[in-house]
Amino acid sequence: MTRLIRAAAMVTGICTIAVFFMMLIPGWPLFSHGHLLALLAGGWNPTSSQFGILPMIVGSTAIAGGALLVGTPLSLGVAFVTVIFARGRMRRILLSCVRLMSGVPTVVYGFVALIYLVPFIRSQFHSGSGFSILTSSLVLGLLISPTMIVLFVNALDGVDPRARRAAATLGATPVQRLLYLQLSEALPGLLSGVVMGLGRAMGDTFISLMLAGNSINMPGGVLESARTLTAHIALVMAVDFHSLEFQSIYLCGFVLYLFTFMLVLILRAVDHRFQRRRV
Amino acid sequence: MAAKIMVEQLSFSLGGRELLHDISMEVEENIVCAVTGPSGSGKTTFLSLLNRLSEEEEGGEVCGRIRMVLDGKLADIHRHWNLSMLRRKVAMVFQNPDPLPMSIRRNIAFPLRLRGWKRGRIAERTEEVLRMAYLYDEVKGRLNTDARHLSGGQQQRLCIARALAGDPEILLLDEPTSSLDSEAAGKIETLIEELGKDRTVILVSHHEAQIKRVASRVWRMEDGKLSVVE
Amino acid sequence: MRRFTELLLVIFSWLALLVFAASFLSLFVVLLLRVRGLDTVSLFFGDTPPLDALLHGLPVFDGIYPALLGTVSVVTVAVLCAVLPGVFTGIYLAEFAGPWAHRIVNLLVDVLTGLPSIVVGLAGFSFMVLLHNLFPGAPGPCMAWSALALGFLVLPYLVRTTETALQGIPAELRRTAPALGATKVQNIFFVLLPFRAKDLLGGVILATGRAAEDTAVIMLTGVVASAPGMHSLFKQFEALPFYIYYMSSQYRDLAELQYGFGASVTLLLLCGLFFAAAFLLQSYVSFRFRGSSWLQK
Repeated sequence: MTRLIRAAAMVTGICTIAVFFMMLIPGWPLFSHGHLLALLAGGWNPTSSQFGILPMIVGSTAIAGGALLVGTPLSLGVAFVTVIFARGRMRRILLSCVRLMSGVPTVVYGFVALIYLVPFIRSQFHSGSGFSILTSSLVLGLLISPTMIVLFVNALDGVDPRARRAAATLGATPVQRLLYLQLSEALPGLLSGVVMGLGRAMGDTFISLMLAGNSINMPGGVLESARTLTAHIALVMAVDFHSLEFQSIYLCGFVLYLFTFMLVLILRAVDHRFQRRRV
Repeated sequence: MAAKIMVEQLSFSLGGRELLHDISMEVEENIVCAVTGPSGSGKTTFLSLLNRLSEEEEGGEVCGRIRMVLDGKLADIHRHWNLSMLRRKVAMVFQNPDPLPMSIRRNIAFPLRLRGWKRGRIAERTEEVLRMAYLYDEVKGRLNTDARHLSGGQQQRLCIARALAGDPEILLLDEPTSSLDSEAAGKIETLIEELGKDRTVILVSHHEAQIKRVASRVWRMEDGKLSVVE
Repeated sequence: MRRFTELLLVIFSWLALLVFAASFLSLFVVLLLRVRGLDTVSLFFGDTPPLDALLHGLPVFDGIYPALLGTVSVVTVAVLCAVLPGVFTGIYLAEFAGPWAHRIVNLLVDVLTGLPSIVVGLAGFSFMVLLHNLFPGAPGPCMAWSALALGFLVLPYLVRTTETALQGIPAELRRTAPALGATKVQNIFFVLLPFRAKDLLGGVILATGRAAEDTAVIMLTGVVASAPGMHSLFKQFEALPFYIYYMSSQYRDLAELQYGFGASVTLLLLCGLFFAAAFLLQSYVSFRFRGSSWLQK
């Protein structure tokens, strides 16, 4: 039985590594065909044999960044209200609602936003079709909020209760306790929450696929259409399987895998750095 | 002597259990008095009602009245004072020292900055209270180091200094020396005697000797009921 | 200055809550309004009589019943596949791993947790193609592949839930069975895991909910827009999330659009139920202090 348990762990580990190779191997012709630099830094123009994924990298970054810009303040604010004002029952209800919100399927966000938000953006800003970085970022920011809220509340609650009690005894109101004690003490946890939000935002496919327009050009502004690495994979699946164009999706997958790996390392570094702070 | 604290028929229950039964007592000003009794009898709970720290936790029910003379006026602490203002006047120190996770200087500055004091005034007051707590000479060269690096006895004196920073009229000490060695405890007992000269100090303690040494009035708490001893 | 900052913080926080609540409320209100007047029976079964579809397997062409069935089927198989490896890996991390093994497996599970679902789907697709090239008889895109890939996607949820559940068990409980002569493995399976059964079940349900909403993985491994016949493991299948996506770009008239909303509400309810059940079961043992009595010494 022990062997079975060890085997299971090995299988899990091996499969995760296998995913990496599942990106590398089929994509190899493309990797060796063009210079990696050209691929990563160039534009996408299959007809002239350009398979650069830079516009997609920019698109992913822009939309994920925008999602963080929208989601982080929103999540922080709700977390603050939960920690400062909600007690006992109220807090449980509030947190339960937030957790339930994290169960809303991504496609449902996309579908509703497609029918309602896109025309709204189109009419409000008279440039563009409504499918844009802005639209995606707004919805994606909302999507990642429930998870971030829970992470933020956990981080703030995790501050040493004795320190919080000391502050209360000295006359600090709940708002003051948050501002002058909890925020600085919970910083590593808050940062982790943001990083996780970033990971979630970069990894999302359908919000950008349905709302960002999927243009292959480099986006010039928030109101313009963009394509993410994830959406690119979804779109190019329909193309002829053996072409180099098709293999560009493996490059996208590869980049995304590396990005995930990097984020995991960053999260660990944040944790580690701040552990040293503790006495 | 004038009364400082008047507790009238105070009862407290938490989660359905009655922790304090019908407590009535009066404390004068400028005195050190002690509350003693077996573990779990409600001494800490009683103290926490005096600065309303009990309200940080949900579900407690208070009956009866607590009135105090603060800022020269007698008032019901539940009706006429908000939590933050009350705790500036009624300070508390706990059994296990709880320095804030910051430097010694910022620990003492914390309650003062909440009141909007300016830098200069804070610096003066910091030295003042550290001296009062017999801690200044030991830490004067390293005020910016993390307070958690101090020894247990030093941390406790820091907590007392911090509690004194805002010049509270009433000081609540919950077994302040039980986690300290006898030398450190001795220093703090001397400090407590000093403090009793110009403010009201309520000390919860198990040490009979300590109580004999510093307290002029003693109460005994048992099963949530209070009785006078001395 | 201080008072001003504090006031600003309060205003900002309440505003954020307002925006947050308003956004979700409008989402739900919109969904509710758009499904008004929708005939549930024709939403699910189209023109086919419901009893015939349910009992006799008559194909449904215009309803979302096949998609619902497909989602339920693929998710069930996925979680069934993932439970054993997931729980066992969690047990490994909590009870058996040495320091180096723990670091490596932990890192890999973290990576898996963070991997975009479309990358997992793509890997599944590549593997399917690879197998097809090596063994020409191997199945192409079908429910089995989707289930495997989905199982892999939700694996980390199971691993982490099991690991956390086991780690949270108090020391005294761990010592009881061994003191009576049980082996480590017996202790785990007869004492520790049953003690945490609620949390584990919660984790399984959470994984199910996550699998049900995923679109990217199934899109690359076997889901199609229309597969009206009886479902089978080795055929392509329909699923709710894909139906919604497909409908979003392919709807031809208001009726079809309304079907899209109907499917959205169905999927929302399905996932909502899973998540609610999972949260009710899990006892949310945070690693942090849970903010209880301040009056304790």
